[in-house]
Amino acid sequence: MKLVDYLTVDRVVKLEGATKTQALGQLIDVLSGGEPKVSRGELEKAVWHREGLMSTGIGNGLAIPHVRMADLKSSSMTVGVSREGISDYESLDPTPIKIIVLIAAPQGQHEIYLKLLAKVTQVLKHSQRREAIIAAESARQIYEILTGAQDDRG
Amino acid sequence: MIAADSLAIINHTHLPALLVVGLAIFFGTVGANIFQKLRIPQVVGYIFIGIIVGRSGLNLIDEEAIRSLRHFNFFALGVIGFMIGGELHLDLFKKYGRHFFVILLSEGMGAFFFVGGAVFVLVWLLLHDFNTALSLGLLLGAISSATAPAATVDVLWEYKTRGILTTTVFAIVALDDGLALVLYGIASTIAGVLLGQTTGSGYFAIISHTLYELLGAVVLGAGSGFLLSWILHRPYNREKSLTFVIGSLALIIGLTLILKVDLILSTMALGMTLANLIPRRSNIAFQMVESIAPPIYVLFFVVVGAGLHIAGMAAWIWYIAIVYVVARTLGKMIGAYLGARWTGAAQPVRKYLGYCLFSQAGVAVGLAILSGNIFGGDIGNSIVMIITATTFLVQIIGPPCVKYAVKRAGEVGLNVTEEDLMRAYKAGQMVSRETPAFTIRTPLAQILQTIADTDAMVYPVVDPQGRLAGLISILELRQSLADAQLAQWVVAYDLMLPPPDNIEENTPLDKAITTMKQQNLECLPVFAEAEDHRFLGLLELRKVNRQLSQEILRRRQASEA
Repeated sequence: MKLVDYLTVDRVVKLEGATKTQALGQLIDVLSGGEPKVSRGELEKAVWHREGLMSTGIGNGLAIPHVRMADLKSSSMTVGVSREGISDYESLDPTPIKIIVLIAAPQGQHEIYLKLLAKVTQVLKHSQRREAIIAAESARQIYEILTGAQDDRG
Repeated sequence: MIAADSLAIINHTHLPALLVVGLAIFFGTVGANIFQKLRIPQVVGYIFIGIIVGRSGLNLIDEEAIRSLRHFNFFALGVIGFMIGGELHLDLFKKYGRHFFVILLSEGMGAFFFVGGAVFVLVWLLLHDFNTALSLGLLLGAISSATAPAATVDVLWEYKTRGILTTTVFAIVALDDGLALVLYGIASTIAGVLLGQTTGSGYFAIISHTLYELLGAVVLGAGSGFLLSWILHRPYNREKSLTFVIGSLALIIGLTLILKVDLILSTMALGMTLANLIPRRSNIAFQMVESIAPPIYVLFFVVVGAGLHIAGMAAWIWYIAIVYVVARTLGKMIGAYLGARWTGAAQPVRKYLGYCLFSQAGVAVGLAILSGNIFGGDIGNSIVMIITATTFLVQIIGPPCVKYAVKRAGEVGLNVTEEDLMRAYKAGQMVSRETPAFTIRTPLAQILQTIADTDAMVYPVVDPQGRLAGLISILELRQSLADAQLAQWVVAYDLMLPPPDNIEENTPLDKAITTMKQQNLECLPVFAEAEDHRFLGLLELRKVNRQLSQEILRRRQASEA
């Protein structure tokens, strides 16, 4: 599993809003831009339905919202970074969320979906890497930290 | 008037034999279904329909039709003999041979003495003629010892019985035609002398003829069995084997008719030889014959019923018939009980074997007709009429008694295959109710804990309203085990897959399993048939297979206990 296969530089953004709604809305905009068969509204509904079950803030300033939808083209991820942090996200710890990775997979790619979740968690487990991402100046830099991190491991 | 007219038209038209076959099988099956609903063995239904459409009823199947189906009946008897032979394994005889022999003698002689004595007393009181009374007593006593295998084993097959009582019944009904023929040989010799119809040379002729009929049958059957086992031993495909077995059966049945040896005994010897020489290969042969047998049996029993000429029989015949039936029943029951006691046979055999020996048909009717030919006149005719009347009575009461016996002995339903069970069960009965369901919010950590504590492969996930939302399969879950952190924030909703097909609780299990196999599914959600269509649980192929094997094992052990 290589993250390069699921992430492109243009899907790495600096988060503009300070609330969960604004942050997720921005990421949903980015992701739905490349999805011909899924409307923005449907994607938004799916993301918030999942958030309603249990927040995807997993602690250490990291959130991994994730959805599966029947009509998605392929599995992909979108990354948003906020230096200020989003304090209304609800997370396993009180740290405000600074990195959000939105993962979306077609219904039929269950295995890739779970592997992606695990891979992203694994990569962002290291605090230096998270700090480097938050401190990064450009989307390309963030992209390289994220995808290069796993290249080290072969 | 109209009905009478149309009946008259039917009466004056001889129906083509195939139409008779079709009518008999069709109405026989319908009748059997009605009787089965009343919990009466199907064979009674066949015979009853036969009586209605036959000589005593509508006469749709008249004497002419019965005659035209005669050869077909021989074939049916041959098939029945063959199938019984297949149940007779030598190790059974090694183990229970002495039991079988003593019980056979005591139940046969019991019927002989009770019927003989009762008929003798009754006729003597009525006619004050010692010789006639003794002759009738001897002849009817000998005939009464025969037990017809067909109707008896049909009940055993219908209720899938297995166990010591079933085994003993197979052995006894298989052998007591032989005993009846020997007793009849002796009785008719004595009767011939009493009635002044036989000279000294007659004894020898009759006894040697009886021996020939019995030994000839065994030699013919066993000999053909050796030949057939040698041929079946070679690898043949299934279709060819079926053709071959049916052909051989017809050939042997035809030979018994030419050689005038006992038909049932002969095909029984054939079946027994095959079952013991090549047990595995012959098993396939028996299964094949069994699979084509049902219509043959239906037709056979309907024709048996049709042939019973009981309408307009004189009252005194019925009196003797009733005495005969009561005496024979007592004789068989007491004889079987004493024989079983003397040999120390198992409790079910002691208590219930007697109930299984009432049926009377082919051999008894055959011997009655033979008596008619030998003795002629009043004695011959009355024997034919008495046996016809009693056959009617015992064929109606016999099968329910067999059912009662095997049920009380606890042997019903012990001889089943997985296919039988699958047809009998509903999907709802096999749902794994102990498998816990997750809600969509259940976190992975808790899911893993539950999986460790239970043994399912697939778990249902339900929404807050209790409706099925998806399934979590252990195999798919592997992916999420890569990182321990996932366990904290991944929930059942993220892990579940949409349910595949689904079925209702009353779907027969065999149909459900076919659906699963066709779609390559390990499990299938089962829903209630009620309006709310509530989710009941999962039908898991692995667990169903395990439960079925356990059930079969349990029934086997129960039958051997």
